[in-house]
Amino acid sequence: MSNLSPEILITLVTIIVSGLGIILGTSIPAIVEGRAVLKALDGITRQPEAANDIRTTLLISMALLESTAIYVLLVILILLFANPLIDLLVV
Amino acid sequence: MDAITPRIVITILGIPITSTVISTWVVMVIIMVSVILIEKYLPTLSDMIGDFIADIVNSIMGVNTIDPYLPVLGALAIFIAVSNSAGMFPLISAPTSDINTTIALSLVVFFAVHVYGIQSKGLAKYLKEFADPIFLLPLEIVGQFSRTLSLTLRLFGNILSGELIAAIIFSLVPLIAPLPLVGLGLLVGLLQAYVFTSLASLYISSAVITEK
Repeated sequence: MSNLSPEILITLVTIIVSGLGIILGTSIPAIVEGRAVLKALDGITRQPEAANDIRTTLLISMALLESTAIYVLLVILILLFANPLIDLLVV
Repeated sequence: MDAITPRIVITILGIPITSTVISTWVVMVIIMVSVILIEKYLPTLSDMIGDFIADIVNSIMGVNTIDPYLPVLGALAIFIAVSNSAGMFPLISAPTSDINTTIALSLVVFFAVHVYGIQSKGLAKYLKEFADPIFLLPLEIVGQFSRTLSLTLRLFGNILSGELIAAIIFSLVPLIAPLPLVGLGLLVGLLQAYVFTSLASLYISSAVITEK
């Protein structure tokens, strides 16, 4: 592994880490959000007149849960498109 | 780094003007022209939009009257909604796809929270509420920074990723394929405006209300 040039090594590790990161970073929030929707629907079924409050709470909570997935996506995008380590190497 | 950071377009009087600033000017012109036209031809529509935003804010804030806080929150909501949707026009990228714009909006919320809190409670009482159980004080301070940072990154990440995905699909299959993605981007933009306004009103109401 140490006879590879640094750029190839960085690119290889970036690709592997990006693949793993995206798989974990999008499936875990999706599972957790699914459970939140489940509980919210239970709440609406139990008390239909609280539907508006439940809907507002659900939307805000989903946006907050989604934001961690967005952080992962952001880091992966920066790694793939604007990798600072390769820029440092080329200079 | 070229695709993500804004590029400098022209220089006015020695100040470099990036493409984000020009997009923001276009969004401002769109909002002003739309408001003038709506006021003249469809005055009920402006009432409906105002009531819609006031209902959203009212359902989250538990204060007696939301009138002191509605201008800031309404301006944030309208500006973010229009500028997230400006990504669908041909030569313009959404101003909120630049992290500088979203940091500026989050700083507006940050200072608004503290200014409204100090205005309604007085400086000493407002600061004492941070140290209520004293071991929570570092958590509160870190919480302030993390709230601002998360507002920034949520809006920036959503809009930028929408634009990048549309650009990538456009470079692969230019004909019909980008359309559902641009539609999804518009929907996400409106939802993110709603979430930003809701979170800002939640933070302001938690700073203004005294727990009994």
